[in-house]
Amino acid sequence: MKTASGLAGKSVLVTGGSRGIGRAIVETFAGEGARVAFFYRGNDEAAQDVVQSMHAAGHHVHAERVDVRDSAACVQAVEKLADETGRIDVLINNAGVIRDNPLTALTDDDVATVLDTNVGGVFNTTRAVAPYMVMQRAGAIVNLSSVAGSKGGRGQTNYAASKGAIEAFTRALAVELAPRKIRVNAVAPGVIDTEMSQAVRDLAGDEVKARILMRRVGSAEDVANAVWFLASDYASYVTGEVFHVDGGFKFD
Amino acid sequence: MAEIAVTQQEIDAVFPKVAETMADALGCDVTDIKPDVSLIEGLDAESIDFLDMVFRLERAFKIKIPRGKIVENARGDLPDAEFEQGGIVTDKGLAQLKSYLSEVPAERFKTPMKVADIPRLFTPTTFCKLVVRAQKEA
Repeated sequence: MKTASGLAGKSVLVTGGSRGIGRAIVETFAGEGARVAFFYRGNDEAAQDVVQSMHAAGHHVHAERVDVRDSAACVQAVEKLADETGRIDVLINNAGVIRDNPLTALTDDDVATVLDTNVGGVFNTTRAVAPYMVMQRAGAIVNLSSVAGSKGGRGQTNYAASKGAIEAFTRALAVELAPRKIRVNAVAPGVIDTEMSQAVRDLAGDEVKARILMRRVGSAEDVANAVWFLASDYASYVTGEVFHVDGGFKFD
Repeated sequence: MAEIAVTQQEIDAVFPKVAETMADALGCDVTDIKPDVSLIEGLDAESIDFLDMVFRLERAFKIKIPRGKIVENARGDLPDAEFEQGGIVTDKGLAQLKSYLSEVPAERFKTPMKVADIPRLFTPTTFCKLVVRAQKEA
């Protein structure tokens, strides 16, 4: 039996790492001794807060302002990271946005922003990182899906489509990269206590808890722990999987 | 686009580093990398190996090789419809291909040739030429 995650000293890239689930992922991996770099889109203050608190705790964390919709920016930032660290061992595709509305009320921008960020961002970042992992003949990629990827949610056609795409992407890429010992998995969180999902939780009220077997909303750390597991050596025989972290939400 | 001429001397100059890079990508001995060996038939290269080779060559030589560049170059000035029809390389396309891949022995050009089978023709020399052209274009 393994007694270590194998993540200490590894080079880890997290997209959307300044807030919510992404921040918890950054903290979890950094706490494990990994060298973590994260992309954030625009909130310099939140990003600096993460970096400073991690540095204060003696961890290696670096922030880079990158909009994952911009493929050239992703390539440039990944090249820079690889030049600094010499390798990229783990990629966590976490960056995502929500623009909920019934289908007919969705604007072109609501559709494009969600698909370009949530799906396009995964393509852009993974395309930039995968060649390094292929070259290393090792690596782990974890994509953040959602319970919406497999379960219908009113007002979430754009978001659900993006997460369904991520799950399909995960399975296809797992096949493609397996010959080079690179694992690709996804984590599908349910209702999680984050700023991004606040509106959904406000709308649903207590009713949502009644539909969760564990009778509570999940925390960002609950999700980060699952991501950590899939990226670690403990999951060395797991690839192409979607791991649901939803307190039993899907079983209502 | 006019094809950039590459001399044997230029190929020889980059070959040792190309061979070393390819051996790393394929996980084989550098002595297995003969200039005219078919990468697929002779060295069991798979599609992911080609991506790896191109990526490593880009880094080793500090050049940029756009994805799909070899097939695009091989096609030369021929429009798609004249190069291939229904996934099969036309006679005109085959002549163009033989000219571009002049290092590949004639008997390896099977007819009919599927576009998808073009990479089966590639040899280490093909990649040397790609590197030299990328250096000249830079």
